[in-house]
Amino acid sequence: MLVIRGRVMPISNDRTVAPDESVTFAGQVWIGDDGLVAAVTKGSKAGPPEFAGAPVVDVGSSLVLPGLIDLHNHLAYNTLPLWTEPTQPVPFAHHNSWTGADSYSGSTTWPAYAFITACPEELLAYVEAKAVVGGTTTVQGSPPKSRPRDGWLVRNVEDESFGTGDRNLIYASTLTLNAALLADRANKMRAGSSFIYHCSEGQRGSVVAQEYTAASRAGCLGDRFVGVHVNAIDPAELASWSPTGAIAWSPFSNLWLYGRGSTTDIPTAVANGLTVCLGSDWAPSGTKHVLGEIKAAKLVADDADWDLSEEDLVRMATCNPGDVLARAWHRQIGRLQPGAIADVLVVSTPPRAHAFHRVVTATEEDVELVVIDGRPRYGTPDLMTKAGADPVTPIEVAGRDMELSLTRSDDAGTAWDWQDVVDRLDEVRAHPEDEIREALQGYAAFAGRLEDPAAPLRLALDMPTGVAPVGGLPKDLSLVHVPPVQSLTHDADWLQAVSANPFHGGVLDGLAGFYS
Amino acid sequence: MVTQQRSRTALADYQRGERLGEALAAAAGTAGAAPPPPSVAASLAAPAARPVPSPLPEGHLDGGQRQQVLDTLITVLGGAYAHLPAKRAAYAVNPVQQLTLLRQRAGELSDADFHLQVTGIVSGLRDAHTRYIGPSPLRGVVAVLPFLVEAYGPLEDPTYLVTKTVPAALVDVDGGDRFRPGVVVESWNGVPISRAVDVYADRQTGGRPDARRAWALESLTFRSLDFEPPPDEQWVVIGYRDGRTPREIRLEWRVVAPGKAETAAAPESRTAAKQAINPSGEAVRRAKKLLFSPDLWSDEQNPVARVPDTDRPASRTALLPTSFPDNLAARALPGDEVGYLRVWSFDLEDDAAFLAEVQRLLEQLPQERLIVDLRANPGGLVWAAERMLQLFADPTDPHRRPIQPTRFALIASPLTRDMAASPFNRLELEAWSPSLEDSISTGDQYAQPLPLTDPAWCNDLPYHYPGKALAVVDAMTYSSGDLFAAGWVDNGIGDLVVVGRATGAGGANVWTSGQLRDALAGTNHAFQPLPAGVGFTLAIRRAVRSGAGDGLPIEDLGISGLPYAMTRADLEEGNRDLLAYCSELLGRPSP
Repeated sequence: MLVIRGRVMPISNDRTVAPDESVTFAGQVWIGDDGLVAAVTKGSKAGPPEFAGAPVVDVGSSLVLPGLIDLHNHLAYNTLPLWTEPTQPVPFAHHNSWTGADSYSGSTTWPAYAFITACPEELLAYVEAKAVVGGTTTVQGSPPKSRPRDGWLVRNVEDESFGTGDRNLIYASTLTLNAALLADRANKMRAGSSFIYHCSEGQRGSVVAQEYTAASRAGCLGDRFVGVHVNAIDPAELASWSPTGAIAWSPFSNLWLYGRGSTTDIPTAVANGLTVCLGSDWAPSGTKHVLGEIKAAKLVADDADWDLSEEDLVRMATCNPGDVLARAWHRQIGRLQPGAIADVLVVSTPPRAHAFHRVVTATEEDVELVVIDGRPRYGTPDLMTKAGADPVTPIEVAGRDMELSLTRSDDAGTAWDWQDVVDRLDEVRAHPEDEIREALQGYAAFAGRLEDPAAPLRLALDMPTGVAPVGGLPKDLSLVHVPPVQSLTHDADWLQAVSANPFHGGVLDGLAGFYS
Repeated sequence: MVTQQRSRTALADYQRGERLGEALAAAAGTAGAAPPPPSVAASLAAPAARPVPSPLPEGHLDGGQRQQVLDTLITVLGGAYAHLPAKRAAYAVNPVQQLTLLRQRAGELSDADFHLQVTGIVSGLRDAHTRYIGPSPLRGVVAVLPFLVEAYGPLEDPTYLVTKTVPAALVDVDGGDRFRPGVVVESWNGVPISRAVDVYADRQTGGRPDARRAWALESLTFRSLDFEPPPDEQWVVIGYRDGRTPREIRLEWRVVAPGKAETAAAPESRTAAKQAINPSGEAVRRAKKLLFSPDLWSDEQNPVARVPDTDRPASRTALLPTSFPDNLAARALPGDEVGYLRVWSFDLEDDAAFLAEVQRLLEQLPQERLIVDLRANPGGLVWAAERMLQLFADPTDPHRRPIQPTRFALIASPLTRDMAASPFNRLELEAWSPSLEDSISTGDQYAQPLPLTDPAWCNDLPYHYPGKALAVVDAMTYSSGDLFAAGWVDNGIGDLVVVGRATGAGGANVWTSGQLRDALAGTNHAFQPLPAGVGFTLAIRRAVRSGAGDGLPIEDLGISGLPYAMTRADLEEGNRDLLAYCSELLGRPSP
């Protein structure tokens, strides 16, 4: 059990918690051993009696809000730098036009393959930690795994089964599906699943707009359907989406690839009753995590002169995706209220600061504590100690000494040294050819059941592999070059790379203002 | 127990006289006692009347395990076997139904009967790529008789000649000193040799009768126990004629473990999915080398000897030193006007190093005329065979360039659709996925055929042999050997001389059961590891020809060319007549 005391921003639709979803108050969040919120109380009001003696973490004026949800990502690639194709003078037309670029496979597929093959455990540790340091508690787009690991670090949308082993609660596809598979997904949704689908990603009016039509014809457009991007369609078509579902919006990625003005028409989506959720997308064309994507969303909304409040933006990373996921999970997430999943973020906040503005402008330096499934996973050493986190490994983030509750998948009782993770990634990066060969030998040597805990963990890539030689990789593995592992934060190098891409017309240059 | 050993020790094992019966008994752990049958191998060697062992020996399969084996084979043969439609048509077989019937009574059979019946069903497909691997404790072992018998003359009426022996194995055999190269074999355990070959050919996997007969002849004296049951008999009585004198000799089967060359493909490497090889044939090839080519075997075991310190050997017609002694041999023929390049096998890991070595050897050979001999090449890495073709085609010749590689296709089925769509197989199979989905509406039996070797890699080397070249193949040139022959003909590189009617006709990329299990993990067709080391190999992607033979399958048809029948002089005098015939085709008088 755990009690967090501070300035609570519950974003709750439970009227016993708060009169409306915009309020904040000094209070306490009571988290049970079942990983659920037991109560949210105001002031110093006593909580449930079973919490007597439970550790209390007092964060003072800091905001206590639902953990952030990233509803669109591709984690396997999140060690990589931002990608641009040197020969591309103008923004790409749609999602099929950049996967054929000369440098695409070598910049994305090949280095990602080296990591998923040679050090899958370390890769997951790094990219999930990267999400956590930005306050992310739930992320979509974890690589397909031979052994799903729900409950390890960040909550993975596709793997989450709440202990049931049922991996069919939520389906997802990055790749375009044919009519038959879309129809199958439509029926899966009618049976209670949700479906997150990359759909019509590109410049408005481009050929991929027909993907939305295909999804509509298949019967997918309902309240359990999450369309990722959907920026190529005529916004008027959104009116036909009924009952209304959700859109995963990745403004940074849209501008990075398709240019200024080529993002999803959010006002029209909202006007049509669609739920808008944020996704930071993958590292080659995205922000580091969804806390960064909120800022990109603000810049893009301001550039387009959209009437989106800071509260609207925060909701896109909390209760909006939380409500969408709850349709399939039958558990509330993204809100702090009794019975909801206890994923919590604490953001350093001065007294009397505007709460939603504070979240929008917060950076990795302001993240004080991240609780996932009721367990402290990341935070300052002081708060982690008070929350009873054990074991922990030290980690330096944005110049601060922090702690991460990281363990190996086969030993939940022993801390996994962060430096070991980084060192292993660097080893693979230094000799990808040898490391890939050695890993393949290890896979082949294992003759047992692939789901056996002792079996080597296998990951798969979820993005298009690109126009590559037969077999998807270069024939000569020495051509696989892995760039330096990118930092966990939106640092100066990253901001400089942002400003070097002209496609976004300088709109994203404004990110530097949040991180200066 | 005889187990897979490093090839360095295999000859010593042989010379110590390890007999097949002893090896099987040792494998069963019952030497000198009444042995329980631990496997199909031991079962066949053991008297049927021996008591039921207790506890059950290693390798025994209970009813549930047998059902698992059969269900797995039914799944993969019914859903992934690349040649199923063709085999049903050509041989009127239905392996899925046969296995389903066997499933009804599998629990009532002895271990030996069970494995023999499964072996028989799979062998009935006549496909050396697709083999059942029973739970033999003799992994990596080849049963051998200490001599080689080869045929010459017309296919319809061949003569069987002993061409090589292992003198060390004949020293203590009654009459061993008279059994030497040049004697003519007339009977086999009292059966006329031609009839014995024909009878055994019925058990063989070759597609065409001549290919089956060629493999049957080889199997009379060599059996890879990974893929075949051991011989029924522990010794053989050979009737032969020494001059005009009829004689008999009794020889025992022995076992050797030839291992793999250091340059061979590693089963765990990324090239493992790009193999086209007859694994049984490769094991036998290695065993033959161990027994009959002691100098080459010694070179292979001695890395120092492989390092070429000069470009030319002491004699113009001596073999050139090579870093790929298990795959290549090269020399100038007498007269120094024709080069001779022997390609024993494509079983290798590094095709780039292999091609560089081929190029280096070609540069040392006469530059006007070349014979490339791939007889009995059991195949190997597809990349090596297909990329090698460019070394013989002038890049400026529009009739020969660009080299077009063979293309491969999965059979269209729910299993292959699921497998190709699995996120874990994207880098290997994604390219076939769209056409597999389309096949639902088009009714096509196969996915779109696509190359395993990128066409750019088939045309990426600057060197080419400047002279005229021809290739020689036979009915035991198989798989990647077939691909090479197909590419040779279809890209118009030169004449193809064929001993027999055509190449061995192995037209597929082959995977092991482990590879297929990995590829099916997470799909609706996943299967678990098979019990007691049981496994299989499977033709997974069917090959069709490109260029002039565009679209033609290779399986069961092979590649035909200019026919040639071996002569006695060929067998006894180093392919004398064959090389003369080839030299004449190249425009020169006999060497």
